[in-house]
Amino acid sequence: MSEKLKFWLNVASLVLLFGVLFLFSRYGSGYQIRILNNIAIFITLAVSYNLVNGVCGLLHLGPNGFIAIGAYTSALLSMTPAEKQLNFIIEHAIWPINVIQVPFVVSLIAAGVAAASVAFLISFPVLRVRGDYLAIVTLGFGEVIRVLCNAAQSVTNGPLGLKGLQAHTNLWWSWGVATLAVAAIQRLINSNYGLAMKAIREDETAARAMGVDPFQRLMLAFLISAFFSGIAGGLLAHLITTISPGLFTFLLTFNLLIMIVVGGLGSTTGSIIGAVLFAWGGEALRIVERPMEIGPFTIPGIPGMRMVIFSLILMLVILFVRKGIMGRSEFSWDALASKFAGWRRTQTPP
Amino acid sequence: MEENSNTAMRSFFQMRHVTRKFGGLMAVSDFSITIERGELMGLIGPNGAGKTTVFNMITGMLRPTAGDISWKGENITRLPTHLITARGIARTFQNIKLFADMSVLENVMVSCHYPLDSSFLAAMLGLAKHRREEKRIREHSLKYLVEAGLAPFAFEKAQNLPYGLQRKLEIARALATEPGMLLLDEPAAGMNPMEKMELAAFIRRIREKNGITVFLIEHDMKFVMNICERIKVINYGQSIAEGSPDEIRRDPEVISAYLGGASRAQG
Amino acid sequence: MSLTLFLQQLINGVSLGSLYALIAIGYTMVYGILRLINFAHGDLLMVAAYAGMYGVLLFSLPWFISFPLAVMATGALGILLDRAAYKPLRQAPRISLLISAIGASFLMENLALVLIGGVPKPFPRPDFFGYVIKAGDLHILVLTIYSPIITLLLVLGLLYIVFKTKAGKAMRAASLDFEATRLMGINLDRIIALTFLIGSSLAAASGIMWAMKYPQINPFMGVIPGFKAFIAAVIGGIGNIVGAVLGGFLLGLCEILIVALLPDLAEYRDAFAFLILIGVLLFRPTGIMGEPIIQ
Repeated sequence: MSEKLKFWLNVASLVLLFGVLFLFSRYGSGYQIRILNNIAIFITLAVSYNLVNGVCGLLHLGPNGFIAIGAYTSALLSMTPAEKQLNFIIEHAIWPINVIQVPFVVSLIAAGVAAASVAFLISFPVLRVRGDYLAIVTLGFGEVIRVLCNAAQSVTNGPLGLKGLQAHTNLWWSWGVATLAVAAIQRLINSNYGLAMKAIREDETAARAMGVDPFQRLMLAFLISAFFSGIAGGLLAHLITTISPGLFTFLLTFNLLIMIVVGGLGSTTGSIIGAVLFAWGGEALRIVERPMEIGPFTIPGIPGMRMVIFSLILMLVILFVRKGIMGRSEFSWDALASKFAGWRRTQTPP
Repeated sequence: MEENSNTAMRSFFQMRHVTRKFGGLMAVSDFSITIERGELMGLIGPNGAGKTTVFNMITGMLRPTAGDISWKGENITRLPTHLITARGIARTFQNIKLFADMSVLENVMVSCHYPLDSSFLAAMLGLAKHRREEKRIREHSLKYLVEAGLAPFAFEKAQNLPYGLQRKLEIARALATEPGMLLLDEPAAGMNPMEKMELAAFIRRIREKNGITVFLIEHDMKFVMNICERIKVINYGQSIAEGSPDEIRRDPEVISAYLGGASRAQG
Repeated sequence: MSLTLFLQQLINGVSLGSLYALIAIGYTMVYGILRLINFAHGDLLMVAAYAGMYGVLLFSLPWFISFPLAVMATGALGILLDRAAYKPLRQAPRISLLISAIGASFLMENLALVLIGGVPKPFPRPDFFGYVIKAGDLHILVLTIYSPIITLLLVLGLLYIVFKTKAGKAMRAASLDFEATRLMGINLDRIIALTFLIGSSLAAASGIMWAMKYPQINPFMGVIPGFKAFIAAVIGGIGNIVGAVLGGFLLGLCEILIVALLPDLAEYRDAFAFLILIGVLLFRPTGIMGEPIIQ
């Protein structure tokens, strides 16, 4: 298939996507729009997370920290001073937080930059180790950030969190960011930078021997992942309009892990599929947590059942279908075309 | 002192009194060697003698406990591996360490990585400058595949290649880093006599064409004697002999280290 | 701060440390042989606590029967955990094992949530452990003194097993060289099962004592102690049993004393533990008892 045809197919798909979004934004219910926003934000988070865990092969267990940084940065910058005063009742917000206010888009970019900056700082200690050690160190950092959010009363308003954020996030923002994130990250993966990252994943010693500097390349992945995670955090904050440290626990990391593992560790397409399934499945599974009426019987809802099912799914995938849905392959027009051609061949009479 | 440093400056590659300890074990002790530009040097010794440890120290994967290593006048003893490769020393591995899940072409493309001109931003934005560089890297890598006879397999996964071709790929991707010196760790292992002949011819060719210095470890005596101009023998981490193939063949210490009683029984 | 208060905090620190030590041993033993961080280890505390509680409340067993039974049951659960979640992945890349461990941990916690409910339940603390010793200004719960003693006894028992029995020798061999041990004809599966049995039982014992110390139990009670015990194991040198014990006591002491000396920073307590962990992993990853890395 020619590059030109592929290009136009991509354009057509995007037009289709945004067309559908437009229809939903006009005629969809609040519930449907919320789910669509969730899906987009999860896609951004999953694809960023997959860059580090899937493509580079590092077990990074601290994305919750970066999402928290992004959410808080964006929230604190976009709120008016009056709104902040309403929130910071136990301790006043310190300067300049109490007076600063910027437009939503600036707050989003700042969220990404803030998260990436923290990622830069901790990449020096984190990237000195690998494997289990790296997993634990990143988990530790994620927790430290959350604890700091909880304790720094005059900066983040502590356990009370921030309420009354403007619901800036709409379908255009969330899906716009998701599209940009997917495009940029996929381009990176397809470039020689991505090749170096995969080489590090396959065999770091051999990669070094071929001239790859693991620290530089892994830090790049780490920073880009943190950047988009931070922006997604900002989008999340302005979607649910209330954030608190309790939102950014290890559970969030676990959910992202489910998305990328079920979708296929290392595949961007897989992460997208995983994110969609998780968002949709999460909603669908809410049923088991609410009382159900079947005929004359009322089955009581079981809180926590969702997480049991998610944990089971994760374990089943990792034990039996280790590669996930996509394995490491990506979607490609060529593959689709050849599958179609193959199907056509089975249809033609001999 | 003065003379030593001048010698170091003039020598292409030199290891001086290099020692490596693991706890109480002396893996390599007081190992020194000088290799001149364009030489075909061999390193032989019984199993466990410390040969791969020497290679690991040269390429920065292990740090010498004592001694220093210099390359083109620069002290590279403490440099990290990727910088040593950038300086021009490349290697292959005893147990093939290809990027198994990546294609043959991609394996070689990784080696073209370090002198990248376009930034990651250019990559993520899909700028023309980046696309041009990607094209250049692809073509550059294909060249090496063609030379190694691997072009037909360019898009195969490296792990699907038969063993002999995997070994060739190991060498091809090391060559793609455009080294001044190539370290080959048991390149002929597992090859049949026909393949070994091809390999010997290949090694001579890269020396002639690209002026690459070759330093190789091998167990196959015939292969080493056939191709190397000078040979260093190591046993229990220490250098026990050095010289031309003929000299080594006749050296009594080498004979006793390797062949033990066999030669005495014969001769 | 008065001497009495300091003494009290010292004893508290040692007591807390003993609980961490017991849990840490389980982590370190499993890591030593399988190179696996058993994320689900901390949750075994929770299982033991609930088992002990239900034994007393539901089946009306006296505590000196219910508690040991709970420990044994939890030990068996540890073996089951390995069989179900880790054994199938012996040959898989490490990232898969870690993910499985995390999944198992979440599964256990949420299963408990679903079956038992999230409302904290009061743990029936026997009077034997519950009365308070008064010595001058010092008020100490007798449990606080019993914990280190019980811990020490258990650790001595463990050290005997590890260093004086054949099974223990096999465990030590397996932690040094997995493959060679198998080649020697030793049944690795049994050794691994034994490791999980011992480690889980010790964690269970700690869980029961923890429940008596903080008598409100909930499905997520094992998370923080589990993680802190892991930190202790790393500090002491992961894979080293004596190190785990030392690390446990050290961490317990530091935690209590830091909070006692700097009460303003009490909220940051957990962050300190994590920062200590990060520090150890970066600067001395082999811990107190391990050997410094040569490279």
